[in-house]
Amino acid sequence: MNFEWTPEEAAFRQRLQDFLAVTLPDDWERFSQHGPASPALTKYAETFCGKLAEEGLLTPHWPKAIGGQGLDPWHQAILAEEMWIAGEPRGGQYMNVNWVGPTLIKYGSADQQARYLPPISEGKALWCQGFSEPGSGSDLASLRTRAVLDGDNYRVSGQKIWTSYAGLADTCFLVCRTSDDRKKGISILLVPMDTPGITVRQIPSLIGEGDIHEVFFDDCVVPVSARLGDEGQAWEIIGYSLTNERLGIPRYALARAALDRAVSLLQAQAEFASEAVKLEAAHAAALCEAARMASYAIIDCRSRGEAIGAESSSARFATVMAERKVAEFVVEYLPEALADAHPYLKMHHQRGIVAGIAAGAAEIQLNIIATDVLKLPREPR
Amino acid sequence: MDLALSSDQIAILDAIDSLAKPYAAAPTHEAGFAMVSDALDRELAEGGFLDVAFDPDLGAVSAALIIERLARLPYAIEAAASALVRPLLGDDVSRPLCLVMEGKHARPIRFLKAGATVIVTGHETVSSFTVSQDQARAEDTLFGYPMGTLLIDPATVAMPCPDVSPEAVLVRWRVGLAAEAAGLLAAALGSTATYVTDRQQFGRPLATFQAIRHRLAEAQVRTNGVYWLAMKAAGTLDPGDAALAALHAQESARATVYDFHQFLGAMGMTLEHPLHLWTYRLKALIGALGGRGAQGLAAADAIWG
Ligand SMILES: Cc1cc2nc3c(=O)[nH]c(=O)nc-3n(C[C@H](O)[C@H](O)[C@H](O)COP(=O)(O)OP(=O)(O)OC[C@H]3O[C@@H](n4cnc5c(N)ncnc54)[C@H](O)[C@@H]3O)c2cc1C
Repeated sequence: MNFEWTPEEAAFRQRLQDFLAVTLPDDWERFSQHGPASPALTKYAETFCGKLAEEGLLTPHWPKAIGGQGLDPWHQAILAEEMWIAGEPRGGQYMNVNWVGPTLIKYGSADQQARYLPPISEGKALWCQGFSEPGSGSDLASLRTRAVLDGDNYRVSGQKIWTSYAGLADTCFLVCRTSDDRKKGISILLVPMDTPGITVRQIPSLIGEGDIHEVFFDDCVVPVSARLGDEGQAWEIIGYSLTNERLGIPRYALARAALDRAVSLLQAQAEFASEAVKLEAAHAAALCEAARMASYAIIDCRSRGEAIGAESSSARFATVMAERKVAEFVVEYLPEALADAHPYLKMHHQRGIVAGIAAGAAEIQLNIIATDVLKLPREPR
Repeated sequence: MDLALSSDQIAILDAIDSLAKPYAAAPTHEAGFAMVSDALDRELAEGGFLDVAFDPDLGAVSAALIIERLARLPYAIEAAASALVRPLLGDDVSRPLCLVMEGKHARPIRFLKAGATVIVTGHETVSSFTVSQDQARAEDTLFGYPMGTLLIDPATVAMPCPDVSPEAVLVRWRVGLAAEAAGLLAAALGSTATYVTDRQQFGRPLATFQAIRHRLAEAQVRTNGVYWLAMKAAGTLDPGDAALAALHAQESARATVYDFHQFLGAMGMTLEHPLHLWTYRLKALIGALGGRGAQGLAAADAIWG
């Protein structure tokens, strides 16, 4: 075991930090409060991702054959950490490069790859992910949005909800039902968001403007050629997408950065003297670092090409614990951060609450740990 | 960053597993609060397992791995101080080692007995002495370790160790505590998981009730976190890392120990079931080094100054 970064990994992180320092605008911290999905940040992300692409830093973890540099999962993790700590200036495009692109590389037809990969690697695309529905959240396989074959087309009707970025996205990675079989009856369509019959409605939220939406599909005509993989292959494809996104966003890194910021602000106000405050901060740091190491253990497996399994749920739950503790610390000891005094901390607080819900509720992670890590018998259904 | 075990580390852990096999399945029927085995202790010492950190190529991480693995056994073995702190003092120091904070020597001390070496760590200095027959009294405690009380004030007999820094002792003490707690947590969790899988009530295994599944899953998350923080702290020997690891270990022990017993019902109140051999060691570790408060303050000072 070696817990040091290699000189090359350290240099890569430094290069990212230098790039962020010269590229982000002066008022970035205040600006980033808009949230990754806001119109303002989405617009800025186009410029930012374009510059990242020019530097070879947008898709460095993609294979060389399609414009990446084939960098290993540690580099992907370093990139994700630095971007998320900085308030995610890539906006919703982080999703494109993390899993939409890699999934298209694996399952996309030649036409789909030619159409969708270049805009992603140039930083010009914005995808949204149409999974959840009003009746299907944690129980995704119960989804009901229908795609009915009609000649060379599908006719799609139904409703998605909580869809991030939908308001400004150009394409939807849509999961829909093509037959009644619970899991084998689900297929993926790549649907342009300007397809007639699509209506998007924004849902005001705690986490920032423009983040989540309802998306209605009213008899939309989508060509069969827009299907990713075979009919009924969605469950397998989603599984593959998840291996690229199992750990999700490196929230532990921003949580720790926010904690450090909060402590330095308290120190400047001579309010980091009390033992009670120090103790709470230490507990929060321990949870952040435990989540970081649990995540690194998964990345280490990936970097050696080993399959990663349910342990990633353990890392995710550890991250939820860290997010909560840091948020509670700030609420208790630096409440002005939830007003306008400290935009960086406000940004963290807005986003942190999502950790235990988005991309799989915390209880679902615990279920997975119980069954697949602890090998306990399943709950009756 | 590379978190894989080296081939040497894999070989060492394999060797420990085969050496420990007869002891893993030891009869635990009415074992009392602590189980010790002189034979196991001798085999470990003779096999050089507690000396790995003297070898810079193996280092403190290998020692921490050994401590973690040994803690999973039902027997209490003085491994943490021997494997991690003893390299600061020299290999001629007689085992077991008993770590004591200056001014706290009146409390029961783990593994204290005649022939043991007591290491006293103060703010400025470290000192040590070998315990004689009349200086220690065995204690009958509820903790899962053999314990004794010092009958003298160490200040009257201990000799200074001028080359040993108190900070270095504290760092390694904390790393050892965290590594040992990780092994104890893993064993207690495993034992509880087995019990609730086998035990049926209401026509199904207890393990199918979500209230139990989720609390055990949270214990798994904590156990995993304690393991990795301990290994990282062993790798860096950084005071902040060590304090965070010990803090997380003590906090996680506190958060899980009563759940483990709860899920065994009355069986968890017996000495027939071995669970207490791990949990009542965890209880002893919760209070070590001044408890969570002291680890938290040490961490805060090391990290934020
Ligand atoms: C900010 C944000 C962005 C999102 N972006 C997207 C997106 O872009 N695309 C998309 O498709 N979806 C998105 N989602 C939706 C997300 O995937 C779902 O919220 C998530 O899967 C949970 O579904 P639900 O909200 O319907 O909760 P429900 O399934 O209704 O569950 C509610 C709560 O019940 C508990 N619970 C549920 N099941 C169990 C169980 N089996 N055992 C114990 N407790 C349980 C959990 O505490 C859970 O939080 C987003 C969500 C958020 C918050």
